[in-house]
Amino acid sequence: MDDVFRPAGEWRQLPAVAVTSHRVASAAINLVVWTVIVVGLWLLLPPLPWLAYAAAGVGVVWTVWRVVRIGRWIRAFRFREGERDLLISKGLWFRSLTAIPYGRMLSVQVTTGPINRLWGLAGVQLVTASHESNGHIPALTAEEAARIRDQLIALGEEQALPL
Amino acid sequence: MSSPPAPEEAPHSVVDDVVVKRTERPHPLTPLIRGWVVLLALLIGLSREVLSWFTEGTQLPPLPLIVGVVVGLTAAAAAIGFVSWMVTRFVIDDDELRIETGIVYHRSQRVAFDKVASIDVVQPLVGRVFGLAELVIDIGSDERIKLRYLTRARAYNLRDYLLSRARGHQAVIAEEPDPGLHLSDLNDDDRMVLRIPPDRLLVAAVTSNEFIGLVGMVAVTVTAVWLLSPYLGGVVVVLALAISAASAVGGFIIRRITGQFNFTLSTRAAGLRISRGLADLTSQSLPARRIQFVRLTQSLLWRPLGWYRVEIDVIGFGLHNQEGTRSDISSVLVPVADLEQLRTVLALLWPEADFTRIRLDPAPRRARWLHPITGPFLAFGYDDLLVVSRHGWLERRWDLVPHARIQSVVISQDPVSARLGIADLSFHTAGTRFSADARGLDISHVRQHQDRLISLAQSNRPDVTESPAPPEGPDEAPPVQ
Repeated sequence: MDDVFRPAGEWRQLPAVAVTSHRVASAAINLVVWTVIVVGLWLLLPPLPWLAYAAAGVGVVWTVWRVVRIGRWIRAFRFREGERDLLISKGLWFRSLTAIPYGRMLSVQVTTGPINRLWGLAGVQLVTASHESNGHIPALTAEEAARIRDQLIALGEEQALPL
Repeated sequence: MSSPPAPEEAPHSVVDDVVVKRTERPHPLTPLIRGWVVLLALLIGLSREVLSWFTEGTQLPPLPLIVGVVVGLTAAAAAIGFVSWMVTRFVIDDDELRIETGIVYHRSQRVAFDKVASIDVVQPLVGRVFGLAELVIDIGSDERIKLRYLTRARAYNLRDYLLSRARGHQAVIAEEPDPGLHLSDLNDDDRMVLRIPPDRLLVAAVTSNEFIGLVGMVAVTVTAVWLLSPYLGGVVVVLALAISAASAVGGFIIRRITGQFNFTLSTRAAGLRISRGLADLTSQSLPARRIQFVRLTQSLLWRPLGWYRVEIDVIGFGLHNQEGTRSDISSVLVPVADLEQLRTVLALLWPEADFTRIRLDPAPRRARWLHPITGPFLAFGYDDLLVVSRHGWLERRWDLVPHARIQSVVISQDPVSARLGIADLSFHTAGTRFSADARGLDISHVRQHQDRLISLAQSNRPDVTESPAPPEGPDEAPPVQ
């Protein structure tokens, strides 16, 4: 039996730099959040300095954990452009396999943030009428993102289904 | 502004500028009615307060103060109503549906006719006395467009016009006279499908899980206070509590019955019509194609009676709307139906589908480790048209989703499920109210199910809302463009 979440086929991975960019992004966000928490505790509760120390400790551990995990998560991320659906396989502990028929496409978004842009990366999102269908590929090289966008649009128009 | 202005059509040309077009204001009595609604709410709230003042024996505030506050608030509501009436204008004609409002921020909202999802005509009690009604247009975004108040005849005629435009048909705004003060809103075009008598509503209300829960909670609280009453201040406390508990229970039943009073489901060319309500008559119209999802629920006591409650999710009930209770009601397609009625109603929505024929496979026994209570009731199955998943113990629930409405299918698994060799399957639709999933499926088949569901979602068969025989009558009129 092959893996339920990665049935046989040509699965594609995210580019290797995506691991770096997501680690940096995760580290940056976590550091900002935990700095705010620690400084807040320090200022608001001066009689209990150990609380701030404890929060700082937890923050460091959590940040390291998140940075490690996001790298693994990105490495475990796979997607596949099937004949009639986009398949996305992701998750480490909470695994999922999403299938979105091209015919349900409403639009395709290419998005990028400041950190991803440093490595020339962009994300692609397949938008359907459901706000729950999460057809998001977090990071691709910019050319690849544009290519996939055009391909998804073409496939979506070709196989279009009524709403 | 693409539409060419027609000068001869502009006797009421607008105050401000560019568009020379016949715009309309809501009915001039609008501010008075809004003031009255506020007054009524105040009086009801006040009477409750007064009751609790008496039971608690506190000093009443001086009467002039109360009267002053009530009068002031009512006048303020009426004044706000007047100003908002002054600045509200709308256009509904062959070219556009546009509403202009705003005191400080001017807002002009133009809606594409084919995006109209459903239209309600709401008649609050006061409105009914004056023959006025509110038109609520749902276009699938968070906020509903409200036109209040119009004359009842105008509201119905505009409703009919917008619904036929929503189906892509050209139409003329009818000038039909006021249908008058009726308990329901039906005319000759409507085919009545289902009417629920008040006694059925009453029985359904007192056998619902909500009612049982409410009574149970009240009983426990009153008993506890009764036992503790020597320490809390005697019988008076128990009495006060019992009175408010009784009013809560009674209020629940009254709300259920008056809200759904004379519930009538009918069909006409434009889709389904729901008409309901005793004091506030609500008339809802829904094109069947907009329905994404049907949920059947059955409370504990309904099971031996064989009754079901039918709720629907439509593109565009909005994520949330402010009036909590009303949003709760508006998802209800049928408040209570037996199996025969249920089949009739579902056959209206999806003529060829029959969920009772679909074989449901129960979840494997090992799923009970993760779902100890609901485990034995979990089941899932599908045929060419529908996916059905069953859940629930105290409240049995069936989720029915046509393949034609599925937007994506996801297999997901948490660490415990991974140990047990099970996974969940969720089906996403464009509805925002419910989400459908099947839990605790055997991991070895789940991928086949997903693949099959995707190919069914893509099959290019006629839409599930269409019956094999072509519909007759005005529905066959050629679409515009």
